[in-house]
Amino acid sequence: MTGNPGAPRVLGATLLALAAAAVVLVAFVLPAEHGLDPLGTGRLTGVLALAEPAQDALESRDAAPVTDRIRFPLQPFESVEYKYRLETGDAMVFAWRATGEVVAELHAEPDEAPEGFAESYDRSRGVSANGGYRAAFDGWHGWFWENRGAVPVTVELEASGFFTAARTYGGGRVRETALPGEAP
Amino acid sequence: MMRRAALWIAVALLLGLAGAAAAHTIAGDDATFVRGIAGPAVGPFVYLGAKHMVTGYDHLLFLVGVVFFLQRLRDVVLYVSLFTLGHSLTLIGGVLGGLAVDAHLIDAVIGLSVVYKAFENLGGFREVLGIEPDTRVAVVVFGLFHGLGLATRLQDMTLSADGLVTNLLSFNLGVELGQVLALLFVVALLLRWRASAAFTRQAFAANTVLMCAGFVLTGHQLTGFALGGAP
Repeated sequence: MTGNPGAPRVLGATLLALAAAAVVLVAFVLPAEHGLDPLGTGRLTGVLALAEPAQDALESRDAAPVTDRIRFPLQPFESVEYKYRLETGDAMVFAWRATGEVVAELHAEPDEAPEGFAESYDRSRGVSANGGYRAAFDGWHGWFWENRGAVPVTVELEASGFFTAARTYGGGRVRETALPGEAP
Repeated sequence: MMRRAALWIAVALLLGLAGAAAAHTIAGDDATFVRGIAGPAVGPFVYLGAKHMVTGYDHLLFLVGVVFFLQRLRDVVLYVSLFTLGHSLTLIGGVLGGLAVDAHLIDAVIGLSVVYKAFENLGGFREVLGIEPDTRVAVVVFGLFHGLGLATRLQDMTLSADGLVTNLLSFNLGVELGQVLALLFVVALLLRWRASAAFTRQAFAANTVLMCAGFVLTGHQLTGFALGGAP
């Protein structure tokens, strides 16, 4: 204990603490933490901005997203690659199903990268996958599927996103693939 | 005198803001990580517990209040053990029993625990109210609330039932480690401070500041409760 300060001094200190706390609370904490600014001090000092919700949860676009559905029949040991044009930050959600097990790899080729370079995100065997994807760089983003089995399978992809073009890579060549709403 | 008062108010302001800002959530990447855990993960949970304690200003302020006038190491160990007993009970029991209280209200009580201890350190109960409540009881009771706060926070995250007990015990162990770590610094600083001639006078001001920080924390959490937002 702090010796014998006496009741008036303790009460005074308590009131001082309460008053100082009220000032700090109303002037700074309420604006910065709760967006309440009764004295205008939050706007004055700029701390009010701290209470605004994070902007990065929402990313607005001018154009509506595109929904694309496409099927690839794959003979035994045949493979195909299908990629979308996405700029940095562009998002898509996808689901693909195959009638039999395939090897699948989600990967992307940055524009600036040397020929043959790709950033790989997931490589697995399976009959389906669902997910959300956000492009980390400008480039072509999509899947490689390969049928390693002895019977033909069909891969069916559905994807919605802010892609502007699609490409199919197979049989040693690249084809621009029309997206819904685009003239073929 | 005026200048000193201004200085203390500046310190109070910093403490209050820091405390309000830290307002001990287990946030961001850590929460995402915990959600992804299935099965026992001793290391990460010990670390999270320790981090929570070291960066949780409200717990630290209360502990500063508790050890402020303790001279002997034996007393420090006794009081901290009592606090540990209290919060371990509600942390483990709370999570296992699914007991969760509004996080804002719990944190408001934790803010009040800082006010209570500072008021006691000022000699308020004896000088103003003429009573001397047992500090050990208060420390256990507030320990229960601090643990309930931890339990509420932990349950805000999606905890996997797989390895839950191991992870809880790990988290609790981490809380104790973080607490010892923080107290080492606090007790060392207090020892040096106590050796100086001005300690008694400064101690009064320091506990006034401590009380102020407790009031700010309480007000901040009560506002959060009134607005009904996410903690």
